[in-house]
Amino acid sequence: MRQGLVAVFPQLDALCDAIEALKKAKYEQFTVYTPAPRHEIEHALKPPMSPVRRFTLIGGLLGVTFGYWIAVWTSEYWPLVVGGKAIASWIPYTIIGFEVMVLVGALSTVAAMFINSRIPKLTMTVGADPRFTHGDYGIFVLAAPERLKEAEAMLRHHGAVEVRGEQ
Amino acid sequence: MATFAEPMRPNIASADVQLPAVKDYEQVDREISATLKPTKGWGAALALSIAMFLMGAAAWTYQIYWGLGNAGYNPPVMWGVYIITFVFWVGIGHAGTLISAILFLFRAGFRTTIYRCAEAMTVFAVMTAGLFPIIHIGRPWKFFWLVPYPNWRLLWPNFKSPLVWDVFAISTYLTVSATFLYVGLIPDIAVLRDRETNPLRKRLLAVMSLGWRNSEPEWRHFTRMYLFLAAFSTPLVLSVHSVVSFDFAMALTPGWHATIFPPYFVAGAIFSGIGMVFTIIIPIRKFFRLEHYVTINHLDAAAKLCLFTSMVVGCAYLIEFWVAWYSGNMYEQDYFWNRVFGQWWWAAWIMLTCNMIFPLSLFSQKLRRNPTWLFILSIFINLGMWYERFVIIVPSLSHEFEPWQWSSYLPSWVDVSILVGSFGWFFMWFLLFIKQLPVVAIAEVKEIVAPKMKRAHGHGGHH
Repeated sequence: MRQGLVAVFPQLDALCDAIEALKKAKYEQFTVYTPAPRHEIEHALKPPMSPVRRFTLIGGLLGVTFGYWIAVWTSEYWPLVVGGKAIASWIPYTIIGFEVMVLVGALSTVAAMFINSRIPKLTMTVGADPRFTHGDYGIFVLAAPERLKEAEAMLRHHGAVEVRGEQ
Repeated sequence: MATFAEPMRPNIASADVQLPAVKDYEQVDREISATLKPTKGWGAALALSIAMFLMGAAAWTYQIYWGLGNAGYNPPVMWGVYIITFVFWVGIGHAGTLISAILFLFRAGFRTTIYRCAEAMTVFAVMTAGLFPIIHIGRPWKFFWLVPYPNWRLLWPNFKSPLVWDVFAISTYLTVSATFLYVGLIPDIAVLRDRETNPLRKRLLAVMSLGWRNSEPEWRHFTRMYLFLAAFSTPLVLSVHSVVSFDFAMALTPGWHATIFPPYFVAGAIFSGIGMVFTIIIPIRKFFRLEHYVTINHLDAAAKLCLFTSMVVGCAYLIEFWVAWYSGNMYEQDYFWNRVFGQWWWAAWIMLTCNMIFPLSLFSQKLRRNPTWLFILSIFINLGMWYERFVIIVPSLSHEFEPWQWSSYLPSWVDVSILVGSFGWFFMWFLLFIKQLPVVAIAEVKEIVAPKMKRAHGHGGHH
């Protein structure tokens, strides 16, 4: 059974020091909170690449396929016959293909962000604090009960102004 | 009101646009959320907008009841104020995505404090534009026939028609722009949610923020999503006004059937959009006391973009004349002569003066850094760009191949009321938006404000 600690940091470099110390001490389950995305945090955490791009690619490919398909299939099924002209003509249908690619690709990208970020969240998030949307940085650490004291000392040592238990 | 010293003139082509008077994150939250408090001036502006909108709505109702003959159409000029205004508002809608997407990809720092305003402007301008084809068709209850959906009519839309391309382009643009605006707002709504004391409003903001908590994984996926949305929106901006230009360029009418139309329309759209951004952002920075966010440097940089697009548009005007002369086609030549020195000289010269000549003043750094002049100029640009669409549409239709067909055009009170109503509709939405949600992006401003550090030189050499 793991228990949680929330630490509040007013300074960015203090937060980054604490992240590096936690990683060094092999604390594996922790979440960082920041009022704005910062490269310093990314360098300290070295997180994996977001998978959003795969959703974008798949959404775009599905969109362009659907766009061409709907135009070609409906032209063949309900033909508008004009002498000497192709019933399905891929050049003007590229516009439909492109627009539907952008539409489905963009919506898939947003859906990917929602899925990967686990939003919409309908319940309170353990470890989050209103100060983290304001001006302060935060870390929520999950650890075995016997390691909590050590974690608290480490967070305070690196500049946490408040550390409290939460689960 | 406190006055803030302007920073040294930075290299505004890069991201080096600083906000020296913004010291910390608390100040950003406090000052930007303070803009949400309704004021008397705002209430008066909203009342005026609603009155204008109701006037347009009444005129449309009159037109629906008595028929499209009440608009000023005079055969063969069967496209008039409605199509002009449609193209005008679609054009206005372009600067939003240009500023938010293209300038984001180019890492142009001056974008940060003006893009939210431009994005909201885009969504409301496209919402306004979308009404005009529906008004123009005369039987608005049949507009959905343009949309392909399973039906028993045994007929589907013709995908080779530019009007159907328009449906796809505009609806995609509206959806993607609205999505872009909303997802960009999520972290800011979370800031408002956590500051809110009224329980009902807090609840509403909690739902709108979708439970956003500012965690690092959220930001990681958010920033990738934002990058890819910007990458999708950039070609979308270019495609949408190209498609709008195909409405004209695919016809054989003199003055329309030209391959220059797509780039010419895109440049014009961006130019008019930046004009409208100035019309909106200059009063906002003054009345919302945001001069230290939307600094003179930001306006200076946006004015350079305005000057550049004005010169592209001016170049397109001149190339049109050159192509007409070089083509040796008498219909084209006669049409262009009639446009500038004949029947429509007054409209053409309003266009040329407002769009080509007045913006040359922006070569002066002093004028680029003068908000009053930028505001006045932006009004001329809006006027000039409406007349550009007038000059493209009306002279072509009134002066086609057969002299016996030549005609004139005068808008009726119904057209003019609906035009005025469209401004009321647009500003009504915009004014409602700016008092509900932050008009300057809180999270993105925080990205350029220096974070608090315990050591003097940042963390571990990373910057």
